[in-house]
Amino acid sequence: MDGATGRYDLLVVGGGPAGMAAATTARELGLHVALVDERPSLGGQIYKQPGEGFVVRDHAALGRDHVAGRVLIDATQRSGAHVLLRTSVLTLRDGDVVLHTEGEPVRTVRAGRVLLAPGAHDRPVVFPGWDLPGVLTAGGAQTLVKTQRVAPGERVLFAGSGPLALAFPAQLHGYGVNVVAALEAGPPPAPRDALRLLGAARGNRQLLLDGLRYRAALLRGRVPLRYRRIVVRAEGGDRLAAVVHAAVDSGWRVLPGTEERIEVDTLCLGYGFFPSVELMRVAGCALRYDEDLGGPVVELDEWMRTSVPGVLAAGDGTGVAGALVAVDEGRLAAIGAALDLGRLPLPAARERARPLRARLDRKRVFREALGRLYRVGPGVYDLATADTVVCRCEEVTCAAVDRAAETTADVNVVKGYTRAGMGLCQGRSCQRQVAARVARRHGLRLAEVPTGTPRSPVRPVPASAVADEQLQDGGFFTRDA
Amino acid sequence: MTRDPAPGDGAVLSPSAAHLRQELPADTDVLVLGGGLAGSAVAYYLAREGVDVVLVEREELNRQASGTNAGSFHFQIALHQLTAWGTDNVRDRLLAEVRLHAQAARMWTELEQELDAPMGVHTTGGLMVAETDAELRLLVDKNRIEAEAGLETQVLLAGELRAFAPYLADDLTGASYCATEGHANPLVSAPLFALRAQQAGAEIRTHARVREVVARTPAGTGFTVRTDAGTIRARRVVNAAGAWAGEVARLSGLTLPLRAEGLHVNVTEPREHVLDPLVQHIGRRLSLKQSGNGTFIIGGGWPSAPAPHPSRHTTRWDSAAGNMGVAVRVMPGLADVRVVRMWTGVMAFTDDLSPIVGESGAVPGYFTCIATTGFTLSPLMARLLAEHMARPSSRPLPPEYSPDRNPAGRPAA
Ligand SMILES: Cc1cc2nc3c(=O)[nH]c(=O)nc-3n(C[C@H](O)[C@H](O)[C@H](O)COP(=O)(O)OP(=O)(O)OC[C@H]3O[C@@H](n4cnc5c(N)ncnc54)[C@H](O)[C@@H]3O)c2cc1C
Ligand SMILES: Cc1cc2nc3c(=O)[nH]c(=O)nc-3n(C[C@H](O)[C@H](O)[C@H](O)COP(=O)(O)OP(=O)(O)OC[C@H]3O[C@@H](n4cnc5c(N)ncnc54)[C@H](O)[C@@H]3O)c2cc1C
Repeated sequence: MDGATGRYDLLVVGGGPAGMAAATTARELGLHVALVDERPSLGGQIYKQPGEGFVVRDHAALGRDHVAGRVLIDATQRSGAHVLLRTSVLTLRDGDVVLHTEGEPVRTVRAGRVLLAPGAHDRPVVFPGWDLPGVLTAGGAQTLVKTQRVAPGERVLFAGSGPLALAFPAQLHGYGVNVVAALEAGPPPAPRDALRLLGAARGNRQLLLDGLRYRAALLRGRVPLRYRRIVVRAEGGDRLAAVVHAAVDSGWRVLPGTEERIEVDTLCLGYGFFPSVELMRVAGCALRYDEDLGGPVVELDEWMRTSVPGVLAAGDGTGVAGALVAVDEGRLAAIGAALDLGRLPLPAARERARPLRARLDRKRVFREALGRLYRVGPGVYDLATADTVVCRCEEVTCAAVDRAAETTADVNVVKGYTRAGMGLCQGRSCQRQVAARVARRHGLRLAEVPTGTPRSPVRPVPASAVADEQLQDGGFFTRDA
Repeated sequence: MTRDPAPGDGAVLSPSAAHLRQELPADTDVLVLGGGLAGSAVAYYLAREGVDVVLVEREELNRQASGTNAGSFHFQIALHQLTAWGTDNVRDRLLAEVRLHAQAARMWTELEQELDAPMGVHTTGGLMVAETDAELRLLVDKNRIEAEAGLETQVLLAGELRAFAPYLADDLTGASYCATEGHANPLVSAPLFALRAQQAGAEIRTHARVREVVARTPAGTGFTVRTDAGTIRARRVVNAAGAWAGEVARLSGLTLPLRAEGLHVNVTEPREHVLDPLVQHIGRRLSLKQSGNGTFIIGGGWPSAPAPHPSRHTTRWDSAAGNMGVAVRVMPGLADVRVVRMWTGVMAFTDDLSPIVGESGAVPGYFTCIATTGFTLSPLMARLLAEHMARPSSRPLPPEYSPDRNPAGRPAA
């Protein structure tokens, strides 16, 4: 931090691959950098580190991701960036970033540039029984296994889709979890697709090979791998006892008469990701809609600048593309910030950016191919029935949402009538589902339904941490017009 | 009373989208401009009187002040009604306002029955706390005015307050208690009025922003109003556009003595129920209550950061910090309760704080319906106005609420 003015050149939100790469690059360019993450350690989602109390004896044994992560983490720690962990970003406005470190009062810091690299979260899928204990998201299961070394259950069914889908069951299997079957909603990889992907860069081929490796691991482990099948229902009393799944067409619509029932105590769901756009929305950044990238994604220019002056974005938070893309985007954003701050002349910035751009372009081609391959089918929004709870926090059923949608096509109004999205998770899990029902009722495409008004704080924060007794009510008796 | 709308499962009591998006009628007797609580209630009471009425709303119903406010019933005199550190200079206005509040208090106890549906009305009582001796003296002062106006309030001294509300800070100097205060659910109130209005014959239209309000000549022959949903002729109009009422009035060359102000509200995670009454502060900006589902709703007049319509005002962190500062000071048990959401709403403050309800002298047939403490007062003001419009000679309106009143004769804020 610049002691005299009390401000950073660059404040990076998110200590995943994108944020770490940005922080180290920005330090190389001589910027004063802070990197903030709400988790207790650096690494983000993919390089999640074992929790306290675990001593890792052999990093290599934990897999290549873990090693790659360690390298980035070490570089970040050596870079001289000011790393603030267990610190969440609550909101930002005009270069003021509001931070909350666990156990401390909220504080506001100023930064010349802010880079948002908040990653993505699991895409929730709503079907009857999705809220039973024993049903969890792949990210949740992965966190359990990676940081706690706890198996999520005795008999685990995995269901999901997308480029990373097979990674989860393979990882779970690798950690000794009994995965009884893996269901992929998309089609099996066709040779044609593999050919199209061969033109990809080395890093991308790596990702593709990873996919094959995961598949091979599952086959070796005799984990039945079934394509074009989706979960339709979870059953059980006070916890999961069985799952019913069925075959789907290319739009993920269930084919009648194909239902099968399997007894399991755990269901792991990995139907792709949503970019975490809450901070971008609160900041007022322009978004566009891209279903393949997970819905609303932020608009960026060639230097990763958003539409809001001073705010940049990178990584999965700008569209889900994986860790390798995230790293290159993070570096590019750091160069963009240095350029904007006048710390790097344009020709030098271009020069530094060139190899990154070349790699990113190739990765984008690859990503688009994958996106088409694993596009989420609209049938995913048809699984819920009238009495399925859509908003878990406030226990709002689909029927209630549908009734509200009779009066309006505005999701904010539906929220007001039903309380869907007003709970602790602040709508992260249900808002798309609600929007999908509104869209269907009014004959709109999902992309045409505007999302609800963005509001702070993006994380819950204790009242005492917010409270500032020094702030006096500004002149109640002298209110000016 | 105390019928809670069942969130999630109750029927949605609002006109359907199928009604709201129909074609705009070509003419009407009364056209109501604005679909908040004031406009919806005016439409309802007019329709109940058998008057031909159409309501036009710029966006969706109840999306502005009436759907973003805290839903508290403010009956006792509050900080925002004072213009200085005392009550002497504004005694007459306060007397009149408290009388109105007492009338509104009675009306709210009957509204759910009148509209035959739950509105989340809860009579919880309300405490107005004091931190200093000067503030306590102010409570005693205002208690006299309230008594004179027929509103029952009681001043509790420090010890009595501790016994009555042990969850409040133990060093408060006292509080004034009003047993009839409480709250209702702002998310359902205006839509319910609109639905009952429609059922009584009113036509309600959304996405019908008013662009032009032209008084036809000769004076008194009505208006031609152009909206985004078409043009309509009306014999009379009611400006119920809340914070935008000034803007709408200017379309007809009128000025209203009011200004728009954006306010900040916080809501916390739900906790076990501990707080019954509404809590306010006589010297600082605070309104605090625990809702039926256990969340604490905390506001009291802290400012938001303006943004032009259709953007919504953004929240200011210093408002959150100041607001929570007062709240935790008054109720220390809030310290570890987590704030989950903040939002803003924009409302009209009239220059002299009194409601503006009545007909313009300059433009006959042009009526206005605006109240500052507008969740509490709008149903009452709407009913008074509607009854007057239906039966002008037998139901005169108080001249002190006329849009043409001379604010100079009354102390301005
Ligand atoms: C559940 C899940 C599992 C995945 N598994 C794999 C896999 O097996 N193989 C693979 O190749 N890829 C995997 N990916 C993809 C890979 O993790 C991402 O592509 C990569 O991590 C993206 O990096 P990032 O820096 O953009 O985001 P992340 O790595 O997600 O990092 C974002 C960081 O921002 C922090 N953050 C967010 N909001 C705030 C806030 N308001 N305040 C403070 N901090 C905040 C988060 O705590 C997080 O640490 C997975 C992704 C997810 C979500
Ligand atoms: C945060 C906050 C907290 C509050 N707390 C309380 C409380 O606890 N208790 C209390 O009594 N009061 C409270 N108030 C005040 C109260 O909410 C308002 O006074 C009341 O809701 C005003 O109702 P209204 O119908 O006049 O205005 P609004 O509800 O704002 O309705 C006006 C309508 O007019 C529409 N409109 C505007 N321009 C046009 C146009 N050109 N054409 C068509 N339509 C138009 C708007 O879209 C809007 O829907 C609070 C206000 C705020 C903002």
